[in-house]
Amino acid sequence: MKKIFMLLLMSVLLVACSSTGSDDSGSKGGNDEVDEVTAWAWDPKFNIAALEIAKEVYKEENPDLNVKIIENAQDDIIQKLNTALGSGTTKGLPNIVLIEDYRAQSFLQSFPDSFYELTDLFEATDFAEYKIAPTSADGKNYGIPFDTGVTGLYVRTDYLEEAGYSVEDLEGIDWNEYIEIGKKVKEVTGKTFLTIDPNDLGLIRVMIQSAGSWYVKEDGVTPDLVDNAALKEAFEVYKEMIDTGILKPHSDWNQFLTGFNSGDVVTVPTGNWITPSIKAEESQSGNWAIVPIPKLTVPGSVNASNLGGSSWYVLNIPGAEQAADFLSKTFGSNVDMYEKLVIDVGAIGTYTPASENDAYAKEDEFFGGQKTVADFAAWLEEIPSVNYGMHTYGIDDIITVEMQNYLNGKNIDDVMSDAQKQAEAQFN
Amino acid sequence: MISIFYFYPMIQALILSFQSGSGTNLSFVGLSNYKRVFTDPTFIAAFTNTFIYLIIQVPIMILLGLFLSVLLNDPKLKFRSFFRIAIFLPCVTSLVAYSVIFKDLFATNGIINKFLLQFSLVPEAINWLADPFWAKVTIIIAITWRWTGYNMIFYLSGLQNIDHSIYEAAKIDGASSFQQFFKITIPMLKPIILFTSITSTIGTLQIFDEVMNITKGGPGNSTTSISQYIYNLSFKYTPDFGYAATVSYFVVIAIVIFAALQFKLAGDKK
Repeated sequence: MKKIFMLLLMSVLLVACSSTGSDDSGSKGGNDEVDEVTAWAWDPKFNIAALEIAKEVYKEENPDLNVKIIENAQDDIIQKLNTALGSGTTKGLPNIVLIEDYRAQSFLQSFPDSFYELTDLFEATDFAEYKIAPTSADGKNYGIPFDTGVTGLYVRTDYLEEAGYSVEDLEGIDWNEYIEIGKKVKEVTGKTFLTIDPNDLGLIRVMIQSAGSWYVKEDGVTPDLVDNAALKEAFEVYKEMIDTGILKPHSDWNQFLTGFNSGDVVTVPTGNWITPSIKAEESQSGNWAIVPIPKLTVPGSVNASNLGGSSWYVLNIPGAEQAADFLSKTFGSNVDMYEKLVIDVGAIGTYTPASENDAYAKEDEFFGGQKTVADFAAWLEEIPSVNYGMHTYGIDDIITVEMQNYLNGKNIDDVMSDAQKQAEAQFN
Repeated sequence: MISIFYFYPMIQALILSFQSGSGTNLSFVGLSNYKRVFTDPTFIAAFTNTFIYLIIQVPIMILLGLFLSVLLNDPKLKFRSFFRIAIFLPCVTSLVAYSVIFKDLFATNGIINKFLLQFSLVPEAINWLADPFWAKVTIIIAITWRWTGYNMIFYLSGLQNIDHSIYEAAKIDGASSFQQFFKITIPMLKPIILFTSITSTIGTLQIFDEVMNITKGGPGNSTTSISQYIYNLSFKYTPDFGYAATVSYFVVIAIVIFAALQFKLAGDKK
């Protein structure tokens, strides 16, 4: 008993000692010169490929700095950042990191001073407006906007024709009209109209952002669920899709890809980053087209939205200045680089001066000669800007549960008010 | 050493559990985290799920392990070591790898559904992973598959320590094999059963990999476990390390209670 007491006492002493000494382990400020900066990102076909291009472009004028690119899964990046920044140890963290817009505020506000300010290093007005709110805090810019996340409705033209529709019939419609077409197409072709992962309510987020609405009010903090007309309609549309049988669940990413690659799915409403995966099935070349995403019937809803866009951030560790210089001279301002990006990778940035270059007018044979890049570039300008706030994924989980309850017959108004109560209890 | 690597983190976590806030902006909030736990529907759902895994899966696994070990201990059985290895093999597979395989097996177009449909055992494909009830069943099947062999090895070694003369004497007295099992094997194995049930309980209370990889806790919260909720609080949402520490202290408390309960039930009087 005495020994245990001693051990406890020792531990308490240790705690007391350590709390004074642990704060300065990561030297702040980025003025130290380094000869290598590291960058973390996910998706080799998209973000990593874009980084490689930027690296080459930058190297032409700055041969002294080596940019080391490391591929990490998005979940791993989030976990490593949270762990390292939470513990105050910045050792092992990269200089440049890609963060999804939905999560950016959670990092910027939870770990103040951990990110390097980029306000003077690029012109924020050159970028799509909806990207600025998530990438800045207290009026300062911390992120260079990159992946647009602009959504489109990918459709199988051959199935549509079989059911007596043309691509134009799907342009500029609302979700109710979409469901009507879906019912007809399913009746004629027997194909599933769309698939969805019941654990991922990305489509609901797409719908509400198209109406300029979000889980939280404009302050980014107050949950906005109970009186949110857009959210309510999104819920109703979702249930209608399930009730009419045009929507089928898939349980993971692979099943999602198999769904449309095997030809069982007629439409894919999602972010433009899905293009490489759609094109992966070459036998379907010429059978696809991309139209604007359907809208809600609530006032203000437009046929454009965002899903999972991301931006570049610089961490406040040695090398920060050089990393920021790299970003500002490539992703922040280089029109030629963006042209290369479109031609080589098919990736569209949110840098508006780049949209005038010729590469944007390129026709894509896979999509029946459609100028997909130009179309996406036009849609992204219409995306309503919303403040995602800090708690996107926390509230998302609450919504997912309430969605299950709603599908099981719970009254929609109870669903909304219960979600509101929970979000208020959890995030205040 | 012990105080650095065991007690220091434990006490630090305890201190953390009285704080709340996002990321590094923590402030002391007294007991409010502990109050919040009781009104947090996600925690209650996670706790209920974990408890369901516990009371259904642990008894199934222990009985199955006992049954298999007695079968495999029979000297007359051919290919004994092959069966032993086959049943033990799941426990050396990687948690993540087997979870991913289970996810594929139980997909709507997976092999399990194909098999069930082939033999007309079900009218239509079961949506194993997207239905709240079947998702739980899938998790329970997965952990049973992985851990039964592990417990079985303990029982086997226990069985080998039981003197054969006891069984011989029982046979002479006319005891059936059924009676031998319940009157000799089980009482002799009691310390081992107690040990395996406590380790299984602790393991199940900490269940994480399977849920994370097979269902991600869904649909809704229907398969979330407490450990996964702790993970979500620290890494998926805006991190609230303080509240996550509070929830993890609840796991500690639950483990202590269950272990004490099992000692009591086993009648282990000092």
